[in-house]
Amino acid sequence: MVRLITHNMLACHVRNCNKDNFPLIFSEVELVIRETPENLDFIRRFLPKLDWTALVDTARSLGDTTLPDEQPVEMTDDQLRALHHVLMEMHVEEGNMTCRGCGHVYPISNGIPNMLLAEHEVGR
Amino acid sequence: MPLYILRVSLDHLTFRLPSLLSISQTFDFPIRFVSEDKFRGILVVELAHKKDVQHLIDRGTLIMWIAELYAQAETYDDLHAQLRERPDLFDEYRQRTFKITPEAANYHFIGSRPLEIVKSFAYLDMRGGVELENPEVDFVVFEDYDSETIHTHEQRLARDGRFRTVYFGRRIGFSRARPLVKEQSVKTRAYYGNTSMEAEMGFLMANQTLARTGKIIYDPFAGTGSMLYACATFGAYVMGSDIDGRQMRGKSKGPDVTPGMLRAAAQYGVADKFLDLLTFDVTRSPIRRGGWVDAIITDPPYGVRAGAKRIGKKSTRKTPLREDPYVLEDGTFAHTKSTYVPPFRPYELVNLTLDLVLLARYLLVPRGRLVFFLPTVTEEYDAIDIPVVEGMRELKVGDGSVQDFGKWGRRLITMEKTAEDDGEMPKFEDQDINSLADKLPAHHDFARRYYERFAPRNNSTPDVPTDGESAGSS
Repeated sequence: MVRLITHNMLACHVRNCNKDNFPLIFSEVELVIRETPENLDFIRRFLPKLDWTALVDTARSLGDTTLPDEQPVEMTDDQLRALHHVLMEMHVEEGNMTCRGCGHVYPISNGIPNMLLAEHEVGR
Repeated sequence: MPLYILRVSLDHLTFRLPSLLSISQTFDFPIRFVSEDKFRGILVVELAHKKDVQHLIDRGTLIMWIAELYAQAETYDDLHAQLRERPDLFDEYRQRTFKITPEAANYHFIGSRPLEIVKSFAYLDMRGGVELENPEVDFVVFEDYDSETIHTHEQRLARDGRFRTVYFGRRIGFSRARPLVKEQSVKTRAYYGNTSMEAEMGFLMANQTLARTGKIIYDPFAGTGSMLYACATFGAYVMGSDIDGRQMRGKSKGPDVTPGMLRAAAQYGVADKFLDLLTFDVTRSPIRRGGWVDAIITDPPYGVRAGAKRIGKKSTRKTPLREDPYVLEDGTFAHTKSTYVPPFRPYELVNLTLDLVLLARYLLVPRGRLVFFLPTVTEEYDAIDIPVVEGMRELKVGDGSVQDFGKWGRRLITMEKTAEDDGEMPKFEDQDINSLADKLPAHHDFARRYYERFAPRNNSTPDVPTDGESAGSS
């Protein structure tokens, strides 16, 4: 776990960190690919919620280069399948997610990221 | 339009109609309740299309079986008269193997009575032969009695045949959802905790979320994930977060360890439905946008066995929250250590409930649902206890669904997002509970009142903490 579909919904939320706080950058990752039954309708419906550029950059940082730079206006089934693979089948099991803005490191262990803030980081 | 008899459990009566309505809404088919008294062991419903029966069979956890209704009457004479006039009902099945099963609610057959009942239907002229094990057609004769307490064998015998209604129908199938309650019982689950919700309630809640394939359902107080297994079993993708990762993970950590929740998910064959599990404080959440979650389902901790917490310090602590990171003796920051845990303070249920509705207003898609349990002191519950938030409305059948434990109960609240926009991420600020003093919701300070056995509130000196200090957090 930490699939890219979830990763695309997460930003750094440290107090006053609102520049370059998304997407979080993966490092030292242990990546596992797990095949998951396709639901292309689901992918199609979820598409408008995604930040495409962040997704493509993140997928490339993990070695998957199947997604085009620009979000296609009409997705073909093949493109949706590639998107399904990136969103649903790539699991980051271990590693870190780092904020480019404030440098906060969110560690991932056993597929569960720890996104608890430290006491000096929470908003008041 | 075809009428069906649903043999329904007599448990959880206030959940019955909402759950049936939710199934009809999940799969977008109309259902009409025909029975005058909707709270007996049999419920007659009308469906527009035969194919819709399958949805009720797949999802009805309170349903035992469903039959096509052929006749119903107050006496057998009337029942037989009606059936004699409709031989056409049986034409299709005349050459098939069959059996006739007498069943009853609030009553047990003894002696030769069942056989006599079966024989009285000889005129149906079924020619395919009786087959008890695997008949092609299964007819049911169902006698519905009033519930009554009897003490002697004579009284018991006198009850024979004194039913309120007798139904005759062709059984279409047994519920496929009801056996799930036993299959996914907490007793045999690979991973659970001391606050795990029983499987039956989990499924009833999951039904309220309109869970189905392709939806995303999120539990912000996931704990050991009881509700998520049910949603995932119904085909939805699920996601959970909790302030305490150990709840989701279990004791062990390290390489090659599968988090406890995923072990239980794998046991039920739904591991691939678990999108992600995350550790964070929902009031300080990293979620960057709203409008993408189809339903929020949760059983918030209310303090009796575990209290809700959020990052912060109790007001009784001498030092306030640090402004700067804590530097350890070796010059490193404490919060960069893997063992670091920030300080927590109690999260009062009144604040939590309002925040939950605001969060749903933000995260849900339009017409998405928020489903959660709210503990209340039975005598004090009032409809105003449910927070009113622009863009969210409560869906309620009758007086709502309640699990009644006597002096207290827990109320299953279902809300729907009526707003079309995402709006703003809520601020999660503490409410000024003192200003609510004379209209405090019945779930305020629930844990303390539970331990005080729900003695009436002392109104003259309202003992009202401002930041939920006394919400138990054992």
